[in-house]
Amino acid sequence: MKTAFFILVLMVSKLGSSQTAREVMVKMDEKMRGNTSEATILIRTVRPSWNREMRVKTWAKGLDYSMIYVASPQKDKGIVYLKRKNEVWNWMPSIEKIIKLPPSMMSQSWMGTDFSNDDLVKESSIVNDYTHVFSGDTVIDNRKCWLINLTPKPEAAVVWGKLVVAVDKTDFVELHVRFYDEDGELVSTMNGYDVKMMDGRIIPTKFYMVPADKKNQRTEMIYEKITFNKPIADGFFTTEQMKSVN
Amino acid sequence: MWLIKLAWKNLWRNRSRTYITTSAVAFATVVSILAKSLQEGIFDNLVNNIVSSYTGHIQVHLKGYNDEQVLDNSMKRSDFLEQKFSTIPGVVAVTARLEAFSLVSSGEKTKGCMVIGIVPEKERAITLFDQKIETGKYLGNGSNEVLVGKELSERMASGVADTVILIGQGYHGSTAAGKYRVSGIMKLGSPQLNSRLLVMTLPRSQELFGADSMITSYIISLKEGRDLNETASEIHHLAGAAYEVLTWEEIMPEIKQHIESDSRNMNVIQWILYILVSFGIFSTLLIMMVERRFESGMLVAIGMSKPRLQLLVLLESMITVMMGSLAGMMISIPVVAYLSRHPIRLTGESAEAYQRFGFEPIFPTSTDPRIFLVQGSIVFIIGIVLSLYPVYVVAKLNPVNAMKK
Amino acid sequence: MILQLAWRNIWRNPVRSLVIIISVAAGLFAALAVLALYDGMMISRLRTVIDTETGHLQVHDPGFKDDMEPRYVIKNQARWAILLDKDPAIKCWSSRVVSSGMLATPSGSAGVQVNGINSGKEMPVSGIYGKLLRGLGNSSEQVAVSSKQSRSVDTGLGLTDGRSILIGRKLATKLKLSLGNKVVLTMTDKDANMVSSAMRIRGIYESANTPLDELNVYVSEKELAETLGVPGSIHELAIILKSDDSVSAVQHRYSSLFPGDRVESWKELSPETNLMIDTVDLYSYIIVIIILIALSFGIVNTMLMSVLERRKEIGMMAALGIGKKRLLLMVLTETIFLSLVGVPIALGIGWLAVSYYHKNGLDLSGMGEELMKSFGYESLIYPTYPSDKIPAIILLVLISAILASIFPSLKSVNIKPAEALQK
Repeated sequence: MKTAFFILVLMVSKLGSSQTAREVMVKMDEKMRGNTSEATILIRTVRPSWNREMRVKTWAKGLDYSMIYVASPQKDKGIVYLKRKNEVWNWMPSIEKIIKLPPSMMSQSWMGTDFSNDDLVKESSIVNDYTHVFSGDTVIDNRKCWLINLTPKPEAAVVWGKLVVAVDKTDFVELHVRFYDEDGELVSTMNGYDVKMMDGRIIPTKFYMVPADKKNQRTEMIYEKITFNKPIADGFFTTEQMKSVN
Repeated sequence: MWLIKLAWKNLWRNRSRTYITTSAVAFATVVSILAKSLQEGIFDNLVNNIVSSYTGHIQVHLKGYNDEQVLDNSMKRSDFLEQKFSTIPGVVAVTARLEAFSLVSSGEKTKGCMVIGIVPEKERAITLFDQKIETGKYLGNGSNEVLVGKELSERMASGVADTVILIGQGYHGSTAAGKYRVSGIMKLGSPQLNSRLLVMTLPRSQELFGADSMITSYIISLKEGRDLNETASEIHHLAGAAYEVLTWEEIMPEIKQHIESDSRNMNVIQWILYILVSFGIFSTLLIMMVERRFESGMLVAIGMSKPRLQLLVLLESMITVMMGSLAGMMISIPVVAYLSRHPIRLTGESAEAYQRFGFEPIFPTSTDPRIFLVQGSIVFIIGIVLSLYPVYVVAKLNPVNAMKK
Repeated sequence: MILQLAWRNIWRNPVRSLVIIISVAAGLFAALAVLALYDGMMISRLRTVIDTETGHLQVHDPGFKDDMEPRYVIKNQARWAILLDKDPAIKCWSSRVVSSGMLATPSGSAGVQVNGINSGKEMPVSGIYGKLLRGLGNSSEQVAVSSKQSRSVDTGLGLTDGRSILIGRKLATKLKLSLGNKVVLTMTDKDANMVSSAMRIRGIYESANTPLDELNVYVSEKELAETLGVPGSIHELAIILKSDDSVSAVQHRYSSLFPGDRVESWKELSPETNLMIDTVDLYSYIIVIIILIALSFGIVNTMLMSVLERRKEIGMMAALGIGKKRLLLMVLTETIFLSLVGVPIALGIGWLAVSYYHKNGLDLSGMGEELMKSFGYESLIYPTYPSDKIPAIILLVLISAILASIFPSLKSVNIKPAEALQK
């Protein structure tokens, strides 16, 4: 899920073309984070033998705070996840209980998707945890893109060996990310589609997360609505709020 | 033919000597059988204890489950398959389980645990969870209750009749959450189980994990562990290629390794025993030939050919050895049977070591008929080889010297 | 007179005497061999568990074992150190910082037990570096390593800083990791905050216990304590004693010295090993008893044969007026003489055989069916001469021999002179 925020963060407004790769990232990051975001996302988990759809509402503020509310399916409606810094809390309305996810739970998949609970909390910042280098140009869906290589800094708690990101040169949206391990092997791919205007910004509204070693398996995220920079108080991201949010 | 008759007569002519030799062989047989059947019995008992604490002898999963033990690799429970498995000879019990990881929470505490959904009355025949209950009681059939490992319950600070909350990942990405009442605390031998296991009925667990009529494994218990691999491949054949069949040896290779290396070392001890009984048999033969020097010399002197005499002594020894090993096998049957029914009981510290695991502290004997046949034959062969000694003595016999006193 | 007679009888028929001497010697040798083999096995099993897994004793805060929460550090750490350092019963000890955590890689993750170790002190205690498939590259930490329980294949680096980690081969295989790879380790600190750090694999080890290899990873003690928010503190003391026999005494002593800490012995830490050792232990005693019975039976048979053979002669002696008591005594004395000759022979041969195999190892891999494969470690056993049990064994053998000679002696007494001489 974090990766979803992560992608959002990569989206950036128009900028001059004589800039460093890091500057591209910094500007994307700052612009994207703005103050806050609020979105409705349809998440579809695709597996060889079954599919599953859920609709969630998300609120995010910076890198430290986010909240996810499950609106459908009916069985899971009302489940809330809260991320505060590096902790994740989970509200289960059916049993009226809030629990804090322990480290042992972090490697588990988040609600059956290709994201793990750990992806929710990872504090990695694409600006500060990586060094950035332009590695070429490419064209995706008739859009001219930079290819930027992201290499994690040695002390960063990042599992990846390398990221390759494709950023649109005119709209500064990110259309493609490849996640590699240290041996240079592709682990997963994220693609952005359906670039269109939403809340005054041009962004991809559909993302596919595809693990490399599993056939016919992916997680799709479709942004149905997104609002930027609507102020949210820090007090919103608290365990008390989890019970009443909707 | 007349030689056989003569040999037979000779044996009866000197009964005491025959008795002594026969009893030496018989005794050797009894000792070998007893040692072997104890050895096998002890390790069989250990294996049975270990498999009946959780895994069962054989498990059947959907193919791929063992590599990735997640609910999405579960299978539909099939009464038909269960029925078929239970008709395989040697299978004493078959049950189904749903296993999944979950968080268990009580008050402020949240821990990871292993939830298993069981069929309570079928599970009795395999794991004896019902006998491990320290406080509270076993699961009823439709109850909203759970059994908790003792150490887990201590960590959760939750006792009988307390409520625990389970939260986890369900089948196909659904969310699992439920409230349950602790019905009993189980004291389980294995520390891993004791600190992680939470047991509920199969229907409840299917409901919790949103896995209607799904199970992760069939657990199969055998009467004796001997034909493990044969039975496993028969089960695989019945189930079909969509399933994987694992024996306890594959599930717990480290235990198999321990037991194998220990029993192998015990085989060395069996060899030492063979050497010792060979000495016992050989010494009687040796003295017999000393005693029969004069007689043999005489026989050669009055014109019996040496090969014929050799054949005669060989026949005598063979008859003796055969009688001895048969008698030994006969005698050992009641002894082994008795020790199997009234096994040696351990006391003191070793008994404690057994009881800590919830095992009965006994050393039973194995009544596998193969032990009797194999050990009987081994002693018989040793006897026959040793019988070559009298033949050799005759070959070297000098009638004149032999008769000189 | 009896003595003389018995002595002469022995030499009158050297073959028979030799047979009995050899029987006694073989019986004693067998008993020795069984005990030596068993001791060797037990010691190797014990050594594996004590020297590489648990140590003789471990100390924790009583609350620590439940969840390995970092706040349960050992109090009185300094006092422990002082007492342990000057205790003559203690060979060496090491302190550890322990935590549970999650090790993540791009392709997966696994729950692990993170052990923060002090490179210098840890080596003699758990021999962890000795189990490295790659030896330590840092020369100051290069230690000569016994390779009984380990196989050395290639080389790597030690825990030189807070970013180095050692993992087991099983875990490496499972997560497809190799030397130099990066992993991210996530734990919870003292205040229940999640902390993550990136680590480089500086060594891959392999011990005899693969499930533990999958679970345990090793990092530097100092840095781990800082990460967990308990700088300078420790969670675990592992203690190696000079002798295996003093475990419960030392355990008891420190338990009463430090009532606030939990002191556990290897038996409690590895109940499985204790169970296996006890099983094999008892089984070998039963076998020794069976051997003694077999030995007695051999003696009974041989002596019976010899009495029968000497019917005429014994009948003659009886006819000449040698009392029954004396005849009985004579046969008994003979047997004891013969046994006494057998004992040193067996001890000598036994000692030679055991010392040879103790040095070179007894390779059992050729013994029988499915045994050869898969055992890299224990297919060699090193028998140990059971010196402490020898007096008891000799005594038992002699008692068996004497008991065994009673029956033939009685038989000899019952020989009727008239019938015996008839022939």
